[in-house]
Amino acid sequence: MSLRLDNLRECLEGIIPGHIATCDPEGVPNLAYLSQVQFIDSQHVALSYQFFNRTRQNVLAGSPVQLLLTSHLTGAQYRLGLRYLRTETAGPLFEQMKAKLAGIASHTGMSGVFRLLGADIYQVGDIEQVPGPTVASPPSLINLLTALRRTVARIGTCATLECLLETTLDALDEEFGIAHAMLLMHDEGRGRLYTLASRGYAESGVGSEIPVGDGVIGVCARERTPIRIGFMTAEYGYGRAIREGWIAGGLGDTLETAIPLPGLPEARSQLAVPILAFERLIGVLYVESVADLHFGYDDEDALVALAAQLGMAVHFHQQQEDQAEEPSFVGVVTPAISGTPLLVRHFAGNDSVFLGDDYLIKGVAGAILWALLTDYVERGRTVFTNKSLRVDSRVRLPDLGDNLEARLVLLRRRLDERQAGIHLEKSGRGRFVLSVDRPLHLGEG
Amino acid sequence: MAENLLKNDHVDFITSGVSISLASWRPGHPPTMSRGMGCKVLDDGRQVGVFILRSQSAALLDCIRTSRRVANVFSLPSTNRTLQLKGADAEVQTFEAADWPVVEAHLSNFMQEVRPLGLPESVVRAVLAFNADDLVTVVYSPNAVFSQTPGPNAGERLGGA
Repeated sequence: MSLRLDNLRECLEGIIPGHIATCDPEGVPNLAYLSQVQFIDSQHVALSYQFFNRTRQNVLAGSPVQLLLTSHLTGAQYRLGLRYLRTETAGPLFEQMKAKLAGIASHTGMSGVFRLLGADIYQVGDIEQVPGPTVASPPSLINLLTALRRTVARIGTCATLECLLETTLDALDEEFGIAHAMLLMHDEGRGRLYTLASRGYAESGVGSEIPVGDGVIGVCARERTPIRIGFMTAEYGYGRAIREGWIAGGLGDTLETAIPLPGLPEARSQLAVPILAFERLIGVLYVESVADLHFGYDDEDALVALAAQLGMAVHFHQQQEDQAEEPSFVGVVTPAISGTPLLVRHFAGNDSVFLGDDYLIKGVAGAILWALLTDYVERGRTVFTNKSLRVDSRVRLPDLGDNLEARLVLLRRRLDERQAGIHLEKSGRGRFVLSVDRPLHLGEG
Repeated sequence: MAENLLKNDHVDFITSGVSISLASWRPGHPPTMSRGMGCKVLDDGRQVGVFILRSQSAALLDCIRTSRRVANVFSLPSTNRTLQLKGADAEVQTFEAADWPVVEAHLSNFMQEVRPLGLPESVVRAVLAFNADDLVTVVYSPNAVFSQTPGPNAGERLGGA
């Protein structure tokens, strides 16, 4: 049986560097080490183009190419015949390789030296295993197909977005053994991703934001492609580096960083997978680990397949929530409440809402909360629907495709985490009830 | 007499615990390569002998016998320092029993070099496993020396025409 590249992908992780042999038009052979080989499909790989060296001169002059790759798991060696096709200098493949190279550079002491200029794409020809002994590959701790099957079955039982979020994070932990994960939603209008759920961190970070294009998560969102890094790299780190970047870029709005992004300060392996539905970016699933090379090509495949299911499920729930009919009444008799009034302030410029002096939320979720509280205080309204909010001019949803239900989940979670005494309880599909523990005093900032 | 392009520093480097690989090419075939199991320096640095495995190198040995051209890379994993030598007069010679200690010393040094990288020793031993009667020696006179250490000076010619 002939060898298939998709069965040799561990050789491409760069643990044992590959070699590339070429020759010049005069027939002088050349041999070089490879820092990175990227799997594209079973017929194609990409090599990192970092320097205009002899190898590249030979390739562009039409040299045949041979790679020697070695598995760090079994010691097996393989020779691959390649044929150069083209070079990409931007786009998903380029960004995947750029991120991975940053990790490899950091791991090998080559930060600042390795810089990706292009992704050279090759057609893979013959693959030959070099004769020699090998050791048995260590058994996998997780059967990824089983984990995927069980996870998909579990999320298929969810009737709400919140159930979907929690079930996904539970299943990542229990089925995949992934203890640190975040789900972020796409705010298309603002070019941001906001954290809606997380697992494995001291603080949930719900409501924290990342600009599209920043770090592993932001690049994944911009390019709509998985980004996977196997070693710690400051270049794609979060936290302080991103915060400094925002400030340097004139985006030093203190509210941007008022809610810290959760995350492992010492993450060595990172994997961000886009969540898509009908070619629209819904959000990003992000997982991380303190171990080097914790996520491989197979993990990436499994989470991409999971994200595809998740994207369709989120889309379905959004449609369902939006279609719920208006209730026959819009007001109820509110129970008498007493206590010190809670001052709620709204700043129209960015729709930020403060409870007392404490920042709570801003943006679309802030506008929603302000509309709900205004209706409650002025009209005694406590029952609301997604459908009415979607057409509420005060809320100014970016467009019809925006995930309103995700905004409501974000708002509900922020209120609960802050123990604000303001509650949003789901009362049916596309409906929810507002209740408060003490009198409210509203003020425009 | 061939020019001596190898400085003492080069000799020390290529005979340390480096990773060694050897490539060649002949018309009508793709270039090909194999791992080296060690090397020795002959004739006061004018020649290099690289030990490779016959069973892993059928195409490579054909190329060498036809074109006599070789490219030989030496790289130290801990520093990324990399050197490439080229030759145009390569010959395939019988492995001499007297070179056993050279091979053993190289494998021991290489093992020490890669141990801190965290690779399982069993995997490294599999990559470097061989039978003594499988070894052959490829001897050539370096006619060019290049630095291939990653960075701005990669590809710099250190000697030769």
